[in-house]
Amino acid sequence: MASHRVLPGQPISVPPNAPAPQLGGGIYVRDSQLRASLVGEVQQEGPTLSISRVRPRPPAINSVVLGSVTRLSPLQATISISVVDGVPLPAGEEFTGVIRSQDVRATEKDRVKIADSFRGGDVVRGVVISLGDARSYFLTTALNNLGVIFAMSEAGKVMVPVSWKEMRCPETGRLEKRKCAKPE
Amino acid sequence: MTDSALKASIFQRLHPRAYLERFVAEDIRPDGRPFDAWRDVSVNVGSISTADGSALVRLGETTIVCGVKAEIAEPELDKPDEGFLVPNIDLPALCSPKFKPGPPSDEAQVLSDRLNEVLSQIVPLKSLVIHPSKAVWVLYIDATCINYDGNVFDAALIAMVAALRNTVLPKATYNVETGLTICSRAAATPLQILKAPICMSFGVFDAILLADPTAFEEPLLSTTISVVVDENSELVSVVQLGPGVDLDGEDVLSTCISAAKSRRVVLKGQIP
Amino acid sequence: MSLDRRRINGPDESFPPVFALDGLQGTLASPRKDRSPTDIRPIFLQPGLISQANGSAYIETAKTKIACAVYGPRQSRNAAYSETGRLNVEVKFTPFSCARRRAPMRDAEDRSIAVAIHQALVSSVRLDLLPKSTIDIFITIIESDGLDGCVASGSVAASAALADAGIELLGLVTSCAAAIVGRDIWLDPTEGEARFSNGTLVLACMPALKKITSVWQTGEMQVTEALGCMDACQEKCTEIHSVVAQALLESPSLK
Repeated sequence: MASHRVLPGQPISVPPNAPAPQLGGGIYVRDSQLRASLVGEVQQEGPTLSISRVRPRPPAINSVVLGSVTRLSPLQATISISVVDGVPLPAGEEFTGVIRSQDVRATEKDRVKIADSFRGGDVVRGVVISLGDARSYFLTTALNNLGVIFAMSEAGKVMVPVSWKEMRCPETGRLEKRKCAKPE
Repeated sequence: MTDSALKASIFQRLHPRAYLERFVAEDIRPDGRPFDAWRDVSVNVGSISTADGSALVRLGETTIVCGVKAEIAEPELDKPDEGFLVPNIDLPALCSPKFKPGPPSDEAQVLSDRLNEVLSQIVPLKSLVIHPSKAVWVLYIDATCINYDGNVFDAALIAMVAALRNTVLPKATYNVETGLTICSRAAATPLQILKAPICMSFGVFDAILLADPTAFEEPLLSTTISVVVDENSELVSVVQLGPGVDLDGEDVLSTCISAAKSRRVVLKGQIP
Repeated sequence: MSLDRRRINGPDESFPPVFALDGLQGTLASPRKDRSPTDIRPIFLQPGLISQANGSAYIETAKTKIACAVYGPRQSRNAAYSETGRLNVEVKFTPFSCARRRAPMRDAEDRSIAVAIHQALVSSVRLDLLPKSTIDIFITIIESDGLDGCVASGSVAASAALADAGIELLGLVTSCAAAIVGRDIWLDPTEGEARFSNGTLVLACMPALKKITSVWQTGEMQVTEALGCMDACQEKCTEIHSVVAQALLESPSLK
């Protein structure tokens, strides 16, 4: 219904006696007046008011991102982020993330070998832990559901995870080391 | 966007080749077209009043606007009875995330060169002479891409030819005594145009021939073939980039040429 | 002119045609014939036509035709870490957009229009939400009928394109130009009208918040005239706001 759509700058009214709502995305307050900052419909979930638009957005802290490994060094893996919080970014609009060796897994952090965790071209699921530096966002894979979600074997086949640290090639049966994400 | 549509677009983003393969296995393309189908073409001429001729062309989502500006110059010393045709295409950062602001990209340079090759066959340069050795017309044919959704060459050629057909030149008289060229708005003549070439481009993906590829399909193609055909279905030019392939025992190039010829007949009347 | 090997080049020099009767040019019909001084040219605004961009809008006001695309928020490249986002505006004229052909090089005019549009928009965008990111706004002027009109229409299209892209805004920006012709205020002047005016003024504002975001005045006018222009423009901006609102509410790309 077009009539329920609000526009940026449009005041949003709340009942006079209602408790002050919490603000989600797409809404701001100025001079004690709530206003929309996006085109869309106002949604209420519990005490939170928000307007959501499914649009590509930059990573923020705690964003779940998907991306492919573009560079490896003994200290870190560089990731080209192409999906942020379930929304794909357009081709050519990737953000750069890094997974430092201490952020690969939760235990025995100082014994992590990047080369035994990721390979070039792997698709990785990670979570943003900080906005990082001028060049990249810092990611972690130190949770069960984070890590490699798609990898090709040396024989060029899609591998299947057999444990949290190994994947198997369906053709040769060889095992390769990865920090795997637990399949959903 | 629904959840399943989002999931599909994530898969498309992470594994573009596998995404296209799944569609191709079902005999259809991601935008719902059969392999040999073309997107709709629309042509709108003469809407830009600052140009001497203009056209806006849409090929599916791909959008090109072209304007012709006529100016007067002295001819080259060694070609006293020839005017100038100066076609250029701009692929600005506006039209796609592929392009960044700055000088023409490699792709724009290649496209401009190929457009120049075709156009030089359709406007006789001798018809642009006002007074031999003294004054000739220069036709600047500038096309700008507004939305880049693949197969830009086909759309740009349609736009340039339509803009040229829309162009009228004022009557120009060179005064031998003053050395000035004076024009009159009262008497204007259309350009002399020899042919009506239309380009039809194809791409090969996994031994399948796709007509009129989109911006998503283009980077996944192993071979692209462009066939330019005039109104009598005569070949004007053929360009193949990438290896030749056999499709059903026939070379892909000859398949494309015959497909282009039959498509040219369909377009007759649709495109000026 | 230097030879640019990345383009197809014409002759070293060429000139626009000279017409026998052009000596008569140079008068302006006053009072205004085709519309009243406080009328603006009708606005056609369509968000979302450029499918490759994150957001876009096309605007037409009589002869003026402008396409605008928004890309990003993109990761800022070659820039120091910044807590707030950057807004980058680039304006390009097509070579055939003006009476005289424009060589396809960036010139000072492109730059100054880009700066004016940037100024009109920058305080409306919630850049504080976008650390390390850049929003690129690319504007192509397909046909121009007056620079002041291009700044105003370009700002309106860009704000609609930002809304289409789902970028958080404090409010929609609308903009209107005015010229002092004789002693009168003429709104939304054409190229010819602006040339014969004493001075022009372009005002941009967020009507929903009743806040001005930029005023750009050139030429000469009295203070009272400038204030009169601002009042008239601001009033028109509210009307333009409802045109933009309508276009955004009806846009299929925002469904």
